[in-house]
Amino acid sequence: MAVPEILHTIEKTALSTWLRESPSFFGFYFFLTLHTIGMALLVGGNAVIDLRILGAAPSIPLKPLRGLFSIMWAGLATSVTTGVLLLLAYPTKELTNPDFYAKLTFITLGVIIMRKVDIRVFGDSSLDELAMIAKGKVLARWSLFFWIGVVTLGRLLPDTAIYGTFGHPAGG
Amino acid sequence: MNFSHLHLLLNHFPVIGTIVGLGLFLVSFAGKNEDLRRSSYLIFAGVALLTIPTFLSGYGAMLMIQGPGVSDALVQRHQGSAMLSFWFMEATAAFSLIALWHSRLSSRPGNWNVAAILLFSLVTAGLMARTGNTGGDIRHPEVRGGQELSANGKVTEGPVGSLLYAIEPTPDKFMQAVVFSKWWWTFMMIMHFLGLILIIGTVGLFDIRIMGFLKRLPIGPLHQLLPWGIAGLGVNILTGMLGFIGQPTNYIYKGVFWFKMLSLMLLGVNAAAFYMTGIFEGVERVGPGEDAPVAAKLVAASSLLLWFAVITFGRYIQFSLDTLGAAGN
Repeated sequence: MAVPEILHTIEKTALSTWLRESPSFFGFYFFLTLHTIGMALLVGGNAVIDLRILGAAPSIPLKPLRGLFSIMWAGLATSVTTGVLLLLAYPTKELTNPDFYAKLTFITLGVIIMRKVDIRVFGDSSLDELAMIAKGKVLARWSLFFWIGVVTLGRLLPDTAIYGTFGHPAGG
Repeated sequence: MNFSHLHLLLNHFPVIGTIVGLGLFLVSFAGKNEDLRRSSYLIFAGVALLTIPTFLSGYGAMLMIQGPGVSDALVQRHQGSAMLSFWFMEATAAFSLIALWHSRLSSRPGNWNVAAILLFSLVTAGLMARTGNTGGDIRHPEVRGGQELSANGKVTEGPVGSLLYAIEPTPDKFMQAVVFSKWWWTFMMIMHFLGLILIIGTVGLFDIRIMGFLKRLPIGPLHQLLPWGIAGLGVNILTGMLGFIGQPTNYIYKGVFWFKMLSLMLLGVNAAAFYMTGIFEGVERVGPGEDAPVAAKLVAASSLLLWFAVITFGRYIQFSLDTLGAAGN
């Protein structure tokens, strides 16, 4: 299948070229680092809540853990913003890679589960701790599954890329 | 300072530290002294952390001295010996941390746990002594004794040395085993990131609560998440060291890699300050809505800062140039 010319056009923009080729400390790797930190906050927060719901550290009161959601949303915002910039740097590499779409799907499903946990488990003030756990168990399992999937699919991106840049095969 | 200086500075700590830790551990049985035994666990954990830069700098030192006048067979033998003793040291520390955790919960470590520490620390002490000896043999022919080099460049070992030599990994084969497949490498890197997430999720939550955020949470129960963080650290040490062994020249010459290692060592100092100066006891009872002491906040903030430094330096390894060069300066 032919690669859409629009990807080449994006790659030739000044911003894309700078992100990809700049030797500056604040170039590509700066945003990649922020992307990693954002993911660590997002997935780390989700992991703690999921593990607690599934029975780890039962002496931690569940309700006050809702405060973690603001950190997780901040992590998501950081990851999405920097993710868009990383995509601008290598549009052909990412948008021609099926793994990239799988990652986006898993992120979407992970975020939907996160929102459900926030509203259904933590947002219902009538629930006591046991009821919260009962309501959250299945969601917590799915949450762990999707976030581990996001990390896995993200790390697989360089290995599954078909193109490096427009017209240049990956690794070439 | 170069890699050889650094290696010479560090390489006595694993050997002597293991012997000191083992000594305290054995003496603790005589008087059933639990404090002494806990001290030995802490020493094993600290020595295991210091063994990481000792091992890394050893690789750098090897690259520096390679060439005429230095026996490659002796260098390879030392490297294989270091690889084996390194993993036993880390396993001893892992069992020690499990024992420390059980001690904290006011219950004694299980007999299996104490037996594992005894077995692994005894083996580690022996292997560390062998590693020290084989390292000394490289530059000190006067102490080689009966371990002469044969005409074909191979090392002639004594009976014990022959036995150990048979079970020590061959450095080149071990290296190739780590990088045998790009999918295996990717799997290790996935595990490395998942380990980091466990650390940031658990230790990070503990740190920010101590710093004064999420104040509706009591601090003591958050500490129950620590084993997950320690498990994440274990996964990261395992996958990180395998990554280094697989592609050492990708890391060794990069300043940011050494800054990452320095941050890791400082995290060890930070943890020691937290648990060994009474700060932990001060925060353990801090309830919902209450503030932790200022000293605890400082230690928690530096922990969080250092973990973010570890992430940042780790990410920049690929970006940075080989600034240290073969001389390691």
